[in-house]
Parts: sequence; C-alpha cells; structure tokens
Amino acid sequence: MSMEDQTVAEPILSMNSVEVLYDNVLLAIKGVSIEVPKGKMVALLGSNGAGKSTTLKAISGLLKAERGHISRGEIRFRGTAITEVLAQNRVEMGICHVIEGRRVFEHLTPDENLIAAAPLGMNRAALNAEKDRIYNYFPRLAERRNSLAGYLSGGEQQMLAIGRALVTQPDLLMLDEPSLGLAPFLVAEIFDMIKKINREEGLSVLLVEQNALAALEVVSDGYLIENGRVVMHDTAEALKANSDIQDFYLGGKEGSNFHNVKHYSRRKRWLS
Amino acid sequence: MDPVFLAELAINGALTGLLYSLFAIGLVLIYKASSVPNLAQGGLTMVGAYVVLALARDVGMPLWLAIPIAVAIMFGLGFGIERVALRRLAGRPVVMILMITLGLDIFLRGTTLAVWGGTSRSMELGVSYEPLFLGDILVSRIHLVGAFVAVMFFAAFLLFFRTRLGIKLRAIADDYMASWSVGISVERGIGLSWGLASVVAVSAGVIWGEIQGVDQALSLLLLKGLTVAVLGGLDSILGAIVAGIILGVVENVGADFLDPLVGGGSRELIVAAVLILTIMIRPHGLFGRHDIERV
Ligand SMILES: Nc1ncnc2c1ncn2[C@@H]1O[C@H](COP(=O)(O)OP(=O)(O)OP(=O)(O)O)[C@@H](O)[C@H]1O
Ligand SMILES: [Mg+2]
Repeated sequence: MSMEDQTVAEPILSMNSVEVLYDNVLLAIKGVSIEVPKGKMVALLGSNGAGKSTTLKAISGLLKAERGHISRGEIRFRGTAITEVLAQNRVEMGICHVIEGRRVFEHLTPDENLIAAAPLGMNRAALNAEKDRIYNYFPRLAERRNSLAGYLSGGEQQMLAIGRALVTQPDLLMLDEPSLGLAPFLVAEIFDMIKKINREEGLSVLLVEQNALAALEVVSDGYLIENGRVVMHDTAEALKANSDIQDFYLGGKEGSNFHNVKHYSRRKRWLS
Repeated sequence: MDPVFLAELAINGALTGLLYSLFAIGLVLIYKASSVPNLAQGGLTMVGAYVVLALARDVGMPLWLAIPIAVAIMFGLGFGIERVALRRLAGRPVVMILMITLGLDIFLRGTTLAVWGGTSRSMELGVSYEPLFLGDILVSRIHLVGAFVAVMFFAAFLLFFRTRLGIKLRAIADDYMASWSVGISVERGIGLSWGLASVVAVSAGVIWGEIQGVDQALSLLLLKGLTVAVLGGLDSILGAIVAGIILGVVENVGADFLDPLVGGGSRELIVAAVLILTIMIRPHGLFGRHDIERV
C-alpha cells in the first residue's frame, strides 16, 4: 500500500468532545465527537431529542440564538477552531446549515429567497448564474419562482431551503431532517440531488436524519447518537448490516424512531 | 352640506393624514424588523426636529445643509440604539423590547428638556402661509409639502424593498433564525431599520415642527401615528399611506359633523374609535400580513 493511500484525507469538519448547555443548565449533548471527511457525505442518525439538531447548531453557531453555548470541547473547520466565530462569519467560511422544518422566507418568492441568501458582494451576473444553477438542480422551483414561498408544497419548500443554502457557496452543507413529512418519492428525489451536488462539486455534507433507511443509501459514513452521546460510528454498509439498526427498520413499522430499537431489542431478548 | 366645503374638508384631511403617514412609516420600518411598535418614534421625531433647529439656529447653518446633516446624525443615532440598547435583548420576549422603546421615549423627552428647555421654538422653513387655491378649494402649503414628502418616502421605500439589501431586510422580518442560517446579520438589519426610521423621523419632525412648533409635544404624534400604523396593518408601508389618508379624512369630516353636537373635542374620539375598532374588527389592519396558511 502506498503512502498516499494511507494518509486519511484531512477532515473538513472535526468536532471533539463537544458539550452543549442550554440556558446554562440543560446539558443537551455530552461529549460528541464526529468528523466529516472532505467531499464525503456523513449521516447523523438518532431518535427524537437525541441531540442531532443541537450538534448542527453547535457547528453553525446558531446555538447562540437559542441561549445555548458550547461548554466544553472544540470544533474545527478546515483545521481552524471556530467555536468563537459568529454564525454569519461561519457562513462566509463555508458552513451552511439548513435548519429543521424547512424555514423558507414565506413572504418572499423563491427568487427573493435566493437573493436574500446571496452575499451582498456577489455581483449581479454571478447571482443570476447562481439562481440558474439552483433552478437547474430543482426545476420544480423554477416554475414557481415568482409565487410566495409560503404557498409552495412541502417538497418545494425543502428544495428551496437547500437551494437557498447553496447560494451561500458552502463547502460543508448541513441538513437537518430534510425528509421530514415528505412523500418517499420526494425524499428520494431530494437525496439524489444532494448526492449529485456532492459528486459534481465535491460538497461535503452532514445529513441529520431519523429516516435512516433513506440516509444510509446516500452517505458513506454514519454516526448514531443517543441521549447526547455518539453510541455508534461506522460505514454506511456496516450500519445497514448492523442488527440494531436493522431492528430500527423493523421498529420503524411500529413507531419509527430509535427509542423503539431499544424497546424492541429488549422485548426480543425477553421473548427469546 | 356645501359640496365644495365638504371637498375642502376631505382634501385637507387627506393632506394632514399623509403627514400622519409620514410619521407612521417610521413605525412600520421598525415593526417589520423587530415586531414591536416603537414607542420612541415620537421621541425620535422630536429629537430630529431639535437637531435640525440646533444646526440651523445655534450653529447657523442654512436649512438645506442642516437637514441633511441632521439626517446623517439621526441615522447614526437610530443605528446606535440597536447597538447599545437592543442587541443584548435578542431572543428575549418582545414585551421587553417594547418597554425599552418606552424608556427611550421618556429619555429622549427628558434630554431635550434638559438641553433646549420646554419653550416652543419655530422651525421657520420659509414656506408661505398664504393658502393655495385649487379651484375653489383652500389648501395649506406646508401640508401640501409634507404630503409630497410622505409620498416620496413611500415610493423610495417601495423601491428599496426590491433591492438586494431591502430583500434581506424583508427576510429578517420573516424569520430571524433562517436569516442567521444563511449568514444575514439580523443585528445589522435591525440597526438599519432603526437608522431609516430615524431618518423618516427627521422629515416628520421638520414638517410637524413647522406646523405646531418644536417642543416636547411633538412626541405625542405617536398616538395618531400608531393609530395609522395599526389601521394600515403595522408592517405595510402602503397600509400606512392609505390608512393615513383614511384617518385624516374621517377625522376632519367627522369632526365637522360631530363637533357642533358634542361641543368640540370629537377629533380625539374619532381617532380613539378608529384605533379600537381596528383592533376589534380587523387586527391585521387593512394591509397587514397574515401568517401564511397553506391548504
Ligand atoms: N432551545 C432549547 N432550549 C432548551 N433545551 C433544548 C433546546 N433545544 C433542544 N433542547 C433540548 O436538548 C435536547 C436535544 O435536542 P435536539 O433538538 O438537539 O434533538 P434532536 O435529536 O434534533 O431531536 P428531533 O429529532 O426531535 O429534532 C433535548 O432534550 C431538547 O429538549
Ligand atoms: Mg432536531
């Protein structure tokens, strides 16, 4: 094996034993360490309240807006510590966070949503090229580009939220449950598109999902987070083969979250 | 009733109403960004007028120079208010911000009282008090000038909210968190809206100062301005213009009918009735934004 093969690519993002407190009292994540290799797609899986969104907010800096802060640990982006950097400056550095619940600017049109996200320094030609690029990825949006975003369908809003993030020219795109409440064919369409952008532009992606089945189809690695801690980290292939994760798919039929894994496993053990 | 007289009442009412609109536009700008009615808008208007007077009378500048400099100073003041008073309140309940604006209004009134005293000073814009005849109808020139300024501000803001910066401000008005997530500086956006509202306050202060003199009473314009803003929908500049005209006409024509019956003072009653009825019947006002509910 050559030297080159052995050197692991420098991760674009590394998070080291990060602890987050809300309101100075509520410990939401307890020493989370994750890495996103450059150009790769990584999934962060876990049930309700596990700390997935908190992890993303710690990385994007949006924690501050919710009176949360990092009480321990370190986050590095391209090798630079960013824990003290303002959220807006992290966007400039190339981190963009598509927040939970497809929060498009409802009273703006899709066109204006994209314009709002573009840095003021971007010139008009570049902005138009950027809009064309987004509408190319999501042709459905192009058809609705001049109606109010609040009236778009859920899938279209998710596409717009992702497109709006892409306009900021991120190197690391973080998506918080983009599949939530969408029909399976739409989830597949959106995930395929993210995969395509990842392949074509080398965009690194950190994907938070409860829909593990769909997520593991597109990522190379996954972390499983429970109660604010990482409890599993493996390749997507291995995670798909893992019995606990498989249990989740079975459990998914009953209640569709990771709490059920445990109940299900426990019950299974009890029965056998 | 004599139709010419009625028309005169209506037209002068509409012009006065547009002067309320001029004031209300400032309220709307801040409401859009912060979701609070700025109770200090009256104070800012009063300070705007005092600053113009200070530059023109005390420093001795010509008005054409004093007004733009006052605009720059007031823009800085508005921007600074966000920096000093509001930024640390981010994420706190809106009522706290409301209380800050109330405190600010009291502070501004106290400051002008301490610095310039309480005696009314005149603006002396040099607009003639000879009434203007439009056919048979008499109108006041200063009201005409003020109405023109209001309409110009309306047009300017209509254009501004279509620029890239304006679109970012509208995005902030929509969703702080989503704005932060794409790197928009919500703080600077709010600062900008305070700066712009303070600029509007200078113009309202100059016009109203010319009409009623410059003293602490200028800050009481807040009551009519707030009524207009609420009727227009609080976050709509078009609403502020239309509502201003409506309130002005209703007030002027209504008072002419009612005053002989109640023996005066019906203007205040009409304003109060408009404010209360709007909130009871149409809380979003004429053009206010509803939250979008998809079907
Ligand atoms: N703004 C907040 N203030 C206080 N506590 C919070 C806040 N946001 C989240 N929490 C708490 O932190 C913990 C982790 O929440 P988080 O939103 O990160 O979970 P999640 O994995 O994203 O869950 P979900 O799948 O439901 O979105 C939970 O116990 C939650 O109650
Ligand atoms: Mg979440």
